[in-house]
Amino acid sequence: MAAMSALRRSWLSAPVPLAGSVSHFHAKPLRRKVDGMYVPDPQDQRTPEWQKGPRWEAKLFGRYGAASGVSPAQLWPDPARLREVREEEDTWYPPLADMQARIRQREEEERRIRLEREKLIAANMAQMPKMIEDWRREKQMQVEKQQAEAAWREQLLARAQEKFGHKLDHRSDKFQELLKEMEKEEKKKQKLAKKKLKAEKQGIEVGAGPAQATDSVGAAPPHATESSLA
Amino acid sequence: MAAAKGSGAGRTARDLLHSLPRVSLINLRPNPGAKHREKRRGRGIHGGGKSGRGHKGQGQRGTRPRLGFEGGQTPFYLVIPKYGYNVGHSLRRQYQPLSLNRLQYLIDLGRVDPSEPIDLTQLVNARGITVQPQKRDYGIQLVEEGADIFSAKVNIEVQWTSELAIAAVEKNGGIVTTGFYDPISLAILCKPVPFFLRGQPIPKRMLPPEDLVPYYTDAKNRGYLADPAKVQEARLELARKYGYTLPDITKDELFQMLSTRKDPRQIFLGLAPGWLVNMAEKKILKPTDERLLSYYSS
Repeated sequence: MAAMSALRRSWLSAPVPLAGSVSHFHAKPLRRKVDGMYVPDPQDQRTPEWQKGPRWEAKLFGRYGAASGVSPAQLWPDPARLREVREEEDTWYPPLADMQARIRQREEEERRIRLEREKLIAANMAQMPKMIEDWRREKQMQVEKQQAEAAWREQLLARAQEKFGHKLDHRSDKFQELLKEMEKEEKKKQKLAKKKLKAEKQGIEVGAGPAQATDSVGAAPPHATESSLA
Repeated sequence: MAAAKGSGAGRTARDLLHSLPRVSLINLRPNPGAKHREKRRGRGIHGGGKSGRGHKGQGQRGTRPRLGFEGGQTPFYLVIPKYGYNVGHSLRRQYQPLSLNRLQYLIDLGRVDPSEPIDLTQLVNARGITVQPQKRDYGIQLVEEGADIFSAKVNIEVQWTSELAIAAVEKNGGIVTTGFYDPISLAILCKPVPFFLRGQPIPKRMLPPEDLVPYYTDAKNRGYLADPAKVQEARLELARKYGYTLPDITKDELFQMLSTRKDPRQIFLGLAPGWLVNMAEKKILKPTDERLLSYYSS
């Protein structure tokens, strides 16, 4: 409690500043004179690095003109620097004609590729009707082939039914045997036909054209093999 | 040195230093006020509560899943596919729009003088447009807005235009030219005075990069590298297309002004590359060295 009262007293007795004696903040005067010319001393250690050298001198000349004491001749690049600049320009900035030539070349190349592709497409499109016709015919042939096969199988099954008196499954042993028999018969017939042909050729020697070797009754389509039926 | 020589105060200070222990980790401590005592949750009368962490769960235990996690469902940031809309956005050239409306407004208020060729310097000085070369601005584009009310006769140089904007200017007997400025030249053109205060000679304007060459050599865009004869043909053709009669500028009293063009290597009208402008003395310095002359004229 005593401490509190002491604190309050000290706060109350703090000196109140009078109007006349207030000390305001005074900024330090700028090192750089606003009116006059500011030329930093390059020997002075406190002079910042960027205030030394030709760039800064050019700036001084730009600001104060000849009064800065800077020789105007040093404002342009010296021969060594000029050579560097020219080299850089030669390397990185091609002349307009070069750029145009390159553009023309690229465009011609693109045009050539496009024309080639168009030609290819035109040639392929010219073949298109024929290819479509071929595809149709092939499809038609396939359908016909399937139909013939189906008819042949039905015929076989019908013959088997005729022989055994009842319907047969095409996987059954009886049917397979029947098939083998028929094949043998077929071979025999073919042999006979060959012999006949030979005899005819030897005997008559007359070009009467090739005789029909296959019989219409036992004729199996060449594609209807045993395996496809089994 | 003063202490060694034996002044009274110096000696006592040295003796004091000798008598004190050396500075070490034992007698170092943080500065007053540098440390705060950690807040201790749930002590005293606050025991038995939740200590400010809410009711049980991940919040209380500090085991909340990572940001963007949606409990195992594919999160939003992975659901949305990426697409290259913004590829190379930091390299794209920007052209600030200047509408014909705005140009007419600036002329009507007397902020831009149509009796002189208008280029970026005039427009920036009139505070008609802001160009920031350091933010990938490559100049301005003349846009069509206000093409129906535009009625000034100007000789304007911009960096990009549209066909209708060209037609609107040429219908009134004006001239549009599109010219390329590399970023350094552009900064100089927009703010000439700070550049002149730098005390450097005016550089050469660079040629456009290869992908812009077709634009600036095309007479349809009124490119500054196009053949003038072809430009005249293109002017006539545009007049036919939009159905207006092209005024004959050769008989115009402002023909001298209207036919003024910059050299492709020139930044300021009337100032050649290599010249040095001194603002303090109001003087122009020109190089005399043969090598410099040949460099700046190439």
